[in-house]
Amino acid sequence: MISRRDLLKISTLAGLAPRLTAFGHDAPAPDHTIEIADVTLDLAPRHTVKTTAYNGQAPGPLLRFKENQPVTIEVINRTDRPEVVHWHGLFLPPAVDGAVEEGTPAIAPRSSARYRLTPRPSGFRWYHTHSMAMNDLSRAQYGGQHGFLMIEPRENPARYDQEFFLALHDWGGYLLASDDGAMNPSYAVATINGKAMGSGEPLRVKQGQRILLHILNSSPTEVHWIALAGHSFRVVALDGNPVPEPQTVAMLRLAPAERVCALVEMDNPGVWILGEVRKHVQALGMAIAVEYENQSGAPRWHQPSDLSWGYEQFGGAPVGGNPAEPPTVIPLVFDSKFQGHGAMESWTINGASYPDVRVAPLIAGRRYRLQFVNNSVDDHPVHLHRHSFELRRLGAGNDSRGIIKDVVLVDARTRMEVEFTADNPGASLFHCHQQNHMDRGFMMVFNYA
Amino acid sequence: MLLAFAAAPLSSRAQTNYEIQVYGADTVPPETLMVELHSNYTLDGQKFVVDGVYPTDHQEHETVELTQGLNDWSEVGFYIFTSEQDGHGVQWVGDHIRPRVRVPDSWGWPVGVGLSTEIGFQRSAYSTDTWTWEVRPIIDKAVGRWYFAINPALERTWHGPDVNQGVGFAPSAKISYDFNRVVSGGVEWYADYGAIGNIAPIHTQQQQLFVVTDLNVSPLWEINIGVGVGATAATDHLIFKAILGRRFDWGRHSPVD
Repeated sequence: MISRRDLLKISTLAGLAPRLTAFGHDAPAPDHTIEIADVTLDLAPRHTVKTTAYNGQAPGPLLRFKENQPVTIEVINRTDRPEVVHWHGLFLPPAVDGAVEEGTPAIAPRSSARYRLTPRPSGFRWYHTHSMAMNDLSRAQYGGQHGFLMIEPRENPARYDQEFFLALHDWGGYLLASDDGAMNPSYAVATINGKAMGSGEPLRVKQGQRILLHILNSSPTEVHWIALAGHSFRVVALDGNPVPEPQTVAMLRLAPAERVCALVEMDNPGVWILGEVRKHVQALGMAIAVEYENQSGAPRWHQPSDLSWGYEQFGGAPVGGNPAEPPTVIPLVFDSKFQGHGAMESWTINGASYPDVRVAPLIAGRRYRLQFVNNSVDDHPVHLHRHSFELRRLGAGNDSRGIIKDVVLVDARTRMEVEFTADNPGASLFHCHQQNHMDRGFMMVFNYA
Repeated sequence: MLLAFAAAPLSSRAQTNYEIQVYGADTVPPETLMVELHSNYTLDGQKFVVDGVYPTDHQEHETVELTQGLNDWSEVGFYIFTSEQDGHGVQWVGDHIRPRVRVPDSWGWPVGVGLSTEIGFQRSAYSTDTWTWEVRPIIDKAVGRWYFAINPALERTWHGPDVNQGVGFAPSAKISYDFNRVVSGGVEWYADYGAIGNIAPIHTQQQQLFVVTDLNVSPLWEINIGVGVGATAATDHLIFKAILGRRFDWGRHSPVD
């Protein structure tokens, strides 16, 4: 079996695009530079973490690209490990998408790579490492290698006065025996934009403003629920894609790698807490103050009594009739393999683990329906590279239309169906975005015929 | 876990198996009560009255253990020991209380570490030492399918003939293997070496080895079954043991907690 580590070595040696160089080349200056390096970050006054981050910060710098306008990015790897940067949510060629399983060359230790890419589609995307962590709960997505990526649309999905980008992240992972009989990661600190509550600057707003929040869950494994005391959210986009029916909700749920864009009317002056709804997670630090102009005092929090969320509320009206050509159905059955009460489980798709999962090649231009059957007792945020998909049937059996995403949470012991058009030829990785699941087999590659 | 009430002199003590268990480092979660029934039957044990202590042969011991989680790193347990035997009927034997603390998981230690202390009374018909105290360090580790635990316990008699003996050493250990998600099998070892600094001769030591299985049918249930043999003259020779535990959450649990 070829491990991702092997693939990293292979692709590093293969000399594939993008252009890989040792330090010190004379090419024209890139539009953007990302430097991958080990850093020590202050998450809270008494909690620092040694990790790897982009440009010395977590989240990394906000990159704003214009849709369909080519851009050059220099990525410098100053670590002693191969690295690769995935441009999550973009329709890029496999050679630059940022997954060695698709053929993107890894960036060797202490060398750099230059990416030339044409960003599309517009919307709120992100970039992050796509390496393995295995038993090291400080590496890969457990660390600080994530950043916001905004592909500027021709038209914004909503009018706003001010926008904020917020990343939810969990740090200091350790293994804990879980009720499913296996070990699973748990965390010591939870942050918003790399800071525990009270350690960072508040979001400063003015009364009467309409703010647009771009929220990313960059956690390696955890689903998060977010509320803003005294306010509600008007959800306008999921995973960067406008929803057919924007809705006003009391809280947001974001699975790992999911994004939500939401408007908030700042009509309740004060100092409020925007944070995790679950008390034990907020106690780990996942909160940030929202401070109105000329307001002061301790931030206030209204504790919700329940968790609520559902994709279906954002869907459009069902479309009658049958399509001229029904989509080709691909069943994908998710299950776990017990590895001992002292180990994390391994994972299978259709009974096999990566790289042994096989499905028929995709035919360009054809519509496909992926039938997710989650037989496990864990929820799985599954992600399809280089494509977006439309939610078609949700866990409760409800049909849905018009919700376009690149990550969807498939609840434990449920089924879900999504559709996509095979319109971007090349190897396309599909995997669970929980780091410990993808590390242990929950991946496969769709190839085109 | 507690194997015998009294520490020494081993040669004059009746062996009294009431709770036969190697502790793991985990503690019961807060707002949770663990109710366990320990059933131990001595198929081949001490056949004579020694120092006024009833023989253990064909004694059936039923012990109720109630453990309440205090927070995510401590708990307190309470025991009710009983014995049933031909000629003596069902008898209350004694009670113990057992506070326990552990290193929180969030400290990220490579092994589980805990410390248990147990204080209690038992009637003289079942143990020459009526008030005893035990301090039990706990170290455990799960690695893949393997599980290891060791409890190097120290015992002290507060009232009884062994009160001047000092601190006794009674270690126990466990190693098991997960055959699948539900069934684990392994061995547990229990010993009592007598006083530290005055280790008892081998034939008066207690040395027992149990073949056990743990059935992990649900996070709510604990099932442990085993058969043990004693390797020395001072040890009961054949014992059957079973532990049946059920966890009860009595707190108000909200999804936002």
